[in-house]
Amino acid sequence: MVYRSAKTRIAIGSAVVALALVVTGCSSGKTTGSNSAAKTITIDKAFDLKTADPGRMYEPTGELVDKALYETLLTFKGGDVSKVVPGLATLTQSADAKTFTLTLTGTHKFSDGSAITADDVVFSLDRVIGVKGNPSFLLDGVTVTKQDAKTVVLTTKTATPALPAILANPALGILNSKVVKAHGGTTTDKDAAEKYLNTHSAGSGPYILSSLNLASQVVLTANKNYDGSDKPTYTRVVIQNVEGPTQKINVQGGSADVALDLSGTQATGLSGSVNVTSDPSANVIFLLLNQNPKISKITSNPSFVKAVKEAIDYSDLVSIAGKGTSQAPGVVPSMFLGALGASDALKTDATAAKADLAKSGYKGQSVTLNFPSDITLNGIEFPTIAQRIQSQLKAVGITINLAPAPVATELDAYRNGTENIGLWYWGPDYPDPSDYLVFTPGNVVGLRAGWSATADAGISSLAAAATVGGTDTERAAQFEALQKALNTSGPFIPLLQPGNNIAAKSTVTGVVYNSVWTIDIAALGKK
Amino acid sequence: MSLPTVTTDEIDPGKLRWRRPRLRLGRWSAPLGIAGAAVALIWILVAVFAPLIEPHDPLAQNLPILQAPGHGTFMGTDELGRDVFSRVLSGASVTIPLSLLLVVMSVLIGAALGSIAGFFGRWVDELIMRITDLVMAFPTVILAMVIAAALGASLFNAVLAALIVSWPSYARLTRGLVLSLRQSNYVVSGQLLGFSALRSLWRDIAPNILGPILVLASLDIGTAILLLSGLSFLGLGAKPPTAEWGSMVSDAVQNFDSWWLGLFPGLAILTVVVAFNFIGDALRDALDPKSNTLRGGGLTL
Amino acid sequence: MTSSPASGAVRTGKPARTAPAAHPFVRYAVRRVITSILLVIGVTLVTFVLTNLVPGDPVAAALGQRAAEDPTIVAHFRAEYGLDKPLVLQYFTYLGNLVHGNLGVSTTTHNPVASDLAKALPATLEIAIGAIVLSVIIGVVLGTVAAYRRGKVSDHVLRVVSLAGLSVPTFWLALVLYYVFYFKLHIAPGSGRLSSDFNTPHTVTGLYTIDALLAGQLDTFFDALSHLFLPVLVLTLYTVGLLTRFVRTAVLEILDQDYVRAARAKGLPTRTVVWSYVLRGASIPVLTVVGLAFGSLLSGTVLVESIFSWPGIGSYAYQAASHLDLPGVMGVGLLIGVMYLLVNLIVDLLYGILDPRVRIA
Repeated sequence: MVYRSAKTRIAIGSAVVALALVVTGCSSGKTTGSNSAAKTITIDKAFDLKTADPGRMYEPTGELVDKALYETLLTFKGGDVSKVVPGLATLTQSADAKTFTLTLTGTHKFSDGSAITADDVVFSLDRVIGVKGNPSFLLDGVTVTKQDAKTVVLTTKTATPALPAILANPALGILNSKVVKAHGGTTTDKDAAEKYLNTHSAGSGPYILSSLNLASQVVLTANKNYDGSDKPTYTRVVIQNVEGPTQKINVQGGSADVALDLSGTQATGLSGSVNVTSDPSANVIFLLLNQNPKISKITSNPSFVKAVKEAIDYSDLVSIAGKGTSQAPGVVPSMFLGALGASDALKTDATAAKADLAKSGYKGQSVTLNFPSDITLNGIEFPTIAQRIQSQLKAVGITINLAPAPVATELDAYRNGTENIGLWYWGPDYPDPSDYLVFTPGNVVGLRAGWSATADAGISSLAAAATVGGTDTERAAQFEALQKALNTSGPFIPLLQPGNNIAAKSTVTGVVYNSVWTIDIAALGKK
Repeated sequence: MSLPTVTTDEIDPGKLRWRRPRLRLGRWSAPLGIAGAAVALIWILVAVFAPLIEPHDPLAQNLPILQAPGHGTFMGTDELGRDVFSRVLSGASVTIPLSLLLVVMSVLIGAALGSIAGFFGRWVDELIMRITDLVMAFPTVILAMVIAAALGASLFNAVLAALIVSWPSYARLTRGLVLSLRQSNYVVSGQLLGFSALRSLWRDIAPNILGPILVLASLDIGTAILLLSGLSFLGLGAKPPTAEWGSMVSDAVQNFDSWWLGLFPGLAILTVVVAFNFIGDALRDALDPKSNTLRGGGLTL
Repeated sequence: MTSSPASGAVRTGKPARTAPAAHPFVRYAVRRVITSILLVIGVTLVTFVLTNLVPGDPVAAALGQRAAEDPTIVAHFRAEYGLDKPLVLQYFTYLGNLVHGNLGVSTTTHNPVASDLAKALPATLEIAIGAIVLSVIIGVVLGTVAAYRRGKVSDHVLRVVSLAGLSVPTFWLALVLYYVFYFKLHIAPGSGRLSSDFNTPHTVTGLYTIDALLAGQLDTFFDALSHLFLPVLVLTLYTVGLLTRFVRTAVLEILDQDYVRAARAKGLPTRTVVWSYVLRGASIPVLTVVGLAFGSLLSGTVLVESIFSWPGIGSYAYQAASHLDLPGVMGVGLLIGVMYLLVNLIVDLLYGILDPRVRIA
């Protein structure tokens, strides 16, 4: 026993010595340290991050990150996505919207100090097309040619009035072609640069990538060679993966400076040292009722569709969703060209709903409502909305059977057009109403609702007119007419345009919501 | 949750025989068991009579949303304006019967396969035991999660997934018990007399192995409740708008400030599980006087 | 899942095999290792079959809304991840790659699954090890106290406490503690492994606390430690109940042994008896339950990590399962299956060494 305790004493003694050594040799792991010039800002975001490679990225978190790392040829100012402004280049556009000439301004440099050339532009855009990643479709049918060292020409076979708005997407950020090629980059599907671009950035944006973990956090540091107008205040940015409810606590408790995914209800309870910015997002939550009689005899009945449109209590849905959310007037979100006014939105009328229901011959059969159970959009949970709709429709005598499934599983049924009633949302691929032509007969989302190309000649001709384009006024009128017709006789029921609530500590300035990249991190300032 | 039911193999098959329960309850385990039984009984009554005692329809969305307790409701309202108290009561009629069903099914399947393995031995034994090894090579929650995800979210599928992961412990226990009795004089003599295997199993063996199996089953009810509500918490069990305790807690995660959303369903789970575990514990004391020296306390996590 | 002592106990019933060629322990060990390898292959088969039962299409899950409409992109994706091959071939390709340590590429993260798991594993191990260490200390103390005070009030109080500890739904407890300690009292830090104003310490072990100490960054060490507090506490409460009961029974058995009775009768001080006789004797059963508890901790982490935004195996498993990421799910299943088998194998072998009766059987 004596021997044993002696041994114990020796062990304790050496542990103390070791600890003392550690303490004396200690340094700080803090990033800010004593250097007051270095400022860290922490941003909470619920991650849907898959990659930081612009040529493959097409998720909201990726847009947020790549907006800070890369610059695009054209861009938007602040939150206004209805007007495209020059970025790395200025634009001249042909009258038929088929030829777009872009001239580099020549004032920006890549983060390694080298100049941005037309070759970099051609390589970057060709790479997006060639690697066949998620954003490839943005440049479908676009040919990129170099005219001279500063000029690039984009040509399309059909009129593409939306192309300037598309070019502002961070997925089309300009890469340093020499660096990317050196790390396996090509403009074909043999491209192997994604790995490199997930550990380093190769762009001209205000920040460079310091580290990236798709599941937990992204760290950015200021780009020392950046000389654009967007010079960042914070020299280090930590974007961490946090779910909405925790974000609220973090921003209140001080462990986060900005929280990007608060629901309306969560945002309502905030005040004091936290400022909340509420803007309508460009997402539209809608119901689809399948028009294919083989899928459902009930939902393909026009009177039944009409009855559902009249039975839903839109203002009640808005109140459940909370702060910032409004009823979606049509499929095109309110801030885009051609959006409908609030007075054109669908209206609740329980009496008419009951009459139309009787006309449809519906006898109380149970109709299945499919929805993705794990989607939270701007803090709105799909199961919550689905349950509210079930309860509202029950009031007029429609029996709904809820069928939730993880989005990964449910997407299949949605894409194949086999859902009776589906609850989904559409986030814009680019801020132009032509993105919403998918909601017409025979087009992508139309087919998902079992709406074949020949199903509604009236709407098809309105859609054809809107495809051709024209001046902004003409286009606005075309899309308004199309949406009014859709609201009257289409199989879609636009429900909500969720509010985007961003909470930031009151010391953080410059929080402006942009529907493409959420916020411009470099624009954030300090009071 | 879902821990390895330690007990299974810890119960020494040689020493356990079915004796008429000599109710030599410990000074404390008896009152605890009785308290547990009382609480469990209350919950079972709630489960049966839930529709009669709920102050509101648990599915009706007609109250103000996210209201704290007081203001005319006992446990507040949820994000859709439903009465939390009514939903907690209604949750009992979802979770308790399903968990009991799950345990009964696990016992039946596990005991049947375990007896077959133990009695017939050879390749049948090898096959069944290797399957149990395989299932037991995974932690239960993770295996059940993958199975439930593969089958699609529904309460039925969650029970099925839980069943797949929970029968092997009964199979092992039963096999061990049968194996030890197989060589005993009265079974061997029965065989010599020409009794069929079924008769030997049913008449000579079954009554003698019932005790330990019942103890394990009673301790497993709590585990079953935790497993089912855990799967619902992960979104792999009850579908909305069903009032299920695990999915109610998961809703509470989304509305963190509204503490009443998560607190009460969680307390409901806790009280039911504690009650059944107290019963199981007392039952073990009663059925096996040596229980205090049984390694492991037979609990599952 | 019962494991090891199980296999020992169960096998006692079997007629002993003949041909004592090698040393019985070597034979026993070899048999256990071979069984484990077969089980690992079984584990891959089970995960593979399960993940292919899932009704969804991984392509729909991995590609964006628009990209999945484009047949050339879809074909390219299928070819890249080998999804265009027949299932049987996919499985054997997977097994073949496995031999070379290649677990495939995750369809959600686009990283090799092996490197994803290598990143996630230390995060989970850090809480699991913390919880095991803490629960062994608390469990041994409480269990010993309960055994010594058998039948007294404190014994019964401990019985209630440990039963209650085993009955708490972990996911709920995590939520409640997070609400109270972080949201209301501001004692605990927020979610994640490290506050955002700290850099990840240079990776040596992947355990932030150890890495921070190795790098000599004390402030990082304490920050990482504080983030461990709540998750470890939740998982500890969950295993302490089990350990307390286990230790109590083990200690009671030892106290009943002649040599301990003799030592006590001789009047040796209680402390000496406890340390040098009782706990030493009880260490084997305790070791067993630690092996078992490890598996339960892995299960617990799935439910707990989601609440603390902890980037570990549990989060990875859930993310992979909900995105139908086949290589991801298989990787997690394999890793967890192997870890579980390994722990049980070690416990079994230790049993074989410490208790000759097992290997003779």
